[in-house]
Amino acid sequence: MTLLDAQVHTKYKVCGVSGEGNARRRLLDMGFTPECTLYVAGVAPMGGTVLVGLRGFMVALREDAASLIDIEAVR
Amino acid sequence: MEYTISLVGNPNVGKTSLYNRITHSLEHVGNWHGVTVSEISKKILYDHHTVNMVDLPGLYSLSVYSYEESISRDRILERNSDLIINICEVNNLARNLYLTLQLLELDVPTVLVVNMMDELQKQGKVLNYRRIEKVLKIPIVPMSAKYHSDVHLLMNVSLDHIAAHAGNTVQLSYLDKLPLDDVIAVIGAQAATAGFSPRWAAIKVLENDAFVLQKLQLNDAQQQTIAAMGDWQARVAQARYEFIDKITEGAISRSVADEHHEMHEHAEHNVPIETENTDAPQNVAPTAQLKKHVKHHDRHKKSEEMQAMGLSGIDRIVLNKYLALPIFLLIMAVVFVVTFGLVGRFFTWLLELGIDKLLYDPLTRWLIKVDCPDWIVGLLGDGIIHGVGGILVFLPQIVLLFFFLALLEDSGYISRVAFMTDGIFRKIGLSGRSAFTMLMGFGCSATAVLTARGLEDPKMRKKTVLLTPFMSCSARLPVYSTIAGAFFAAGSPFIIFGMYVLGAAVALLLAALFEKAIKPLKSGKLSFIMEMPPYRFPTAERVLQLIWHNTKVFLVRVGTTVFALNVIVWVLSNFSFTAGYTADKNAKSILELFSGWIAPVFRPFGFGNWKAVTSLLSGLVAKEVVISSIESLGGVGAIFTGAHPSLSALTFMVFTLLYVPCVATLVAIRKEAGVKWMLLSFALQMGIAYIVSLVFYGIGRLVLLHTGITVGVLAVAVVAAICVAVLVSHIRGKRSCPYCTGGCGSCRKKK
Repeated sequence: MTLLDAQVHTKYKVCGVSGEGNARRRLLDMGFTPECTLYVAGVAPMGGTVLVGLRGFMVALREDAASLIDIEAVR
Repeated sequence: MEYTISLVGNPNVGKTSLYNRITHSLEHVGNWHGVTVSEISKKILYDHHTVNMVDLPGLYSLSVYSYEESISRDRILERNSDLIINICEVNNLARNLYLTLQLLELDVPTVLVVNMMDELQKQGKVLNYRRIEKVLKIPIVPMSAKYHSDVHLLMNVSLDHIAAHAGNTVQLSYLDKLPLDDVIAVIGAQAATAGFSPRWAAIKVLENDAFVLQKLQLNDAQQQTIAAMGDWQARVAQARYEFIDKITEGAISRSVADEHHEMHEHAEHNVPIETENTDAPQNVAPTAQLKKHVKHHDRHKKSEEMQAMGLSGIDRIVLNKYLALPIFLLIMAVVFVVTFGLVGRFFTWLLELGIDKLLYDPLTRWLIKVDCPDWIVGLLGDGIIHGVGGILVFLPQIVLLFFFLALLEDSGYISRVAFMTDGIFRKIGLSGRSAFTMLMGFGCSATAVLTARGLEDPKMRKKTVLLTPFMSCSARLPVYSTIAGAFFAAGSPFIIFGMYVLGAAVALLLAALFEKAIKPLKSGKLSFIMEMPPYRFPTAERVLQLIWHNTKVFLVRVGTTVFALNVIVWVLSNFSFTAGYTADKNAKSILELFSGWIAPVFRPFGFGNWKAVTSLLSGLVAKEVVISSIESLGGVGAIFTGAHPSLSALTFMVFTLLYVPCVATLVAIRKEAGVKWMLLSFALQMGIAYIVSLVFYGIGRLVLLHTGITVGVLAVAVVAAICVAVLVSHIRGKRSCPYCTGGCGSCRKKK
């Protein structure tokens, strides 16, 4: 599943980042690497943008960037 | 000796704060990402050396994403700095060290600063930086640039490192896992001609870095060989992070002081183990205590876990799906009521009274007593004191506005605004980052336009640059305040608020129009990756500095531009070519003639007289001058004399809101987007101002003529428009589900 399928206020583990080009590059550089744990902290009031916490910082991603991130549930 | 030292680091780690400390400067800092958008430098003298300090925009990685980042990358790759001070933030050390590793791969002389140690201390933790120092083999200096910080220590360490440095000796063991030698065999020759070290170029090729690949100009066969090696992009990132996790493991631990503190704090509900085994009746109280203790600990653990993820408890409320927008509107309402209502109005009134009673009255009386020529009395009294004073009285309101902007910026809330308005911005082809630029536009249009550089998509950048001038800047505030105050005494805060909303609405509608209808500006769906800074308390020092800085800027503007323009406008509008001073004479002044030609253009709005035109024209230099010109030409009453003076006055405010803010903004637009776009923006603003004013005045006239019918028709039209919009979005099925991130079963959105 991708970050788009995630439930709010839940922890997930990153499996990988798909796609190519700049957005993938940036996501990997920011630390969305396999095995990293992330927490879905919220969704913007009008939807479409998701707020994720990982490695001690929070980042807002639009759905197109979020759809690149493959995740799996933790426990 | 002369040295160049560059400050490099992730966005929002405090590079500019440190730069300000070292060079005693007052460059703009804020608690959000991408405040600095260009290179800033200053030469200082330190210990008999001349040091050229360079502050660079923040970047996450040497593989860049936006334009401002490429400024930093180019600077680093040129290797013209004697030393790079790499600033890290202690809260997310891992991601910060990612850039450090890239600097070490590049083998540039580096000193590492770990900033924001105060925040770590507040959590009761310490950083064992010696361990990291031992692995990376570069000096590490922990500090808190926001507060006191030992800049001398850093400078000494830096200069020593420059003197002693002879290449980095760190063993980056993770690089051995990558097939670097194979890649070097393919690209080695080109890397040398492009001026890169072959090893570094090989890493970047594996990372699929567009910039390096373009510089290398590989031929087809080489590209195929590289492609055959497989996709290493994720592996490189993962290898770096694994290495970082290894060296930072256990580096941050609880301080002894914190452990002691907790021991004392918990002593009261510490439960001896043997109580578990004693008789049941005695057991009651300790069990309750034990439960309390466990609960207390769970809470501790939970908040610590949240912190490790970078989350803050405040965001659960502030960014709640349903509360976020109401909270935002409430905050804005408080800002407006304080700035334009209660507090601001009081101080403005006080200043007005002071200038009138203590300056204007005695001076004119004295000038008349000593038989000064009429025109000197007029110039000093009406031209200068009334004109310039008319602007000066708004100093308190402008100070308040910047005070609130500083609070919004430094607390980290401004990024939350960008996040929660992203839904609207996405629909019109802008990103939440455009919201930064537009919010900054409430302060000053010209400086706000320059912050657009942080936007990654060039079309979006152009669009944002075109729209930012419609946001009502602080220079337009005196115009609204004076006119609304004169015509709508009690209702003026609402009218002013309406002006701000109108400006924002016009900007958003235009953005939607550009997105739908104008191809060169259609940006489509763009990815948006924006970091959310943690909440921070703005320091008093910083807020006072900001207020002082903006006050100074305002006073200098009033003292130079506004003053000079006012004298010119007064002279040109009170002297004629033939008859000299025109007061009490039947002669037309120079401006009366000139502006009189243009005046008919504004006749449809009811202010087609030369005085209104003159003030609007002079307002092109700086918007405050609109009101100082009005004041020196006889006040508001002399200008809006038509059949519906208050409606004309409102229309005048609308026109002032929407037409070109000032020459400085045009220059900024040219700098960001080029001459073509500057001219386009000029035409756009003039056109929109004219059309909106025309519609506004027309509707106003209808309301005045047939109040009931017009209001009814308008209400029905608005309701109908909303219904149609909702219906259309329903039929298209583009509505995103409000309960999930966009992919749950109940929501119709296609993935």
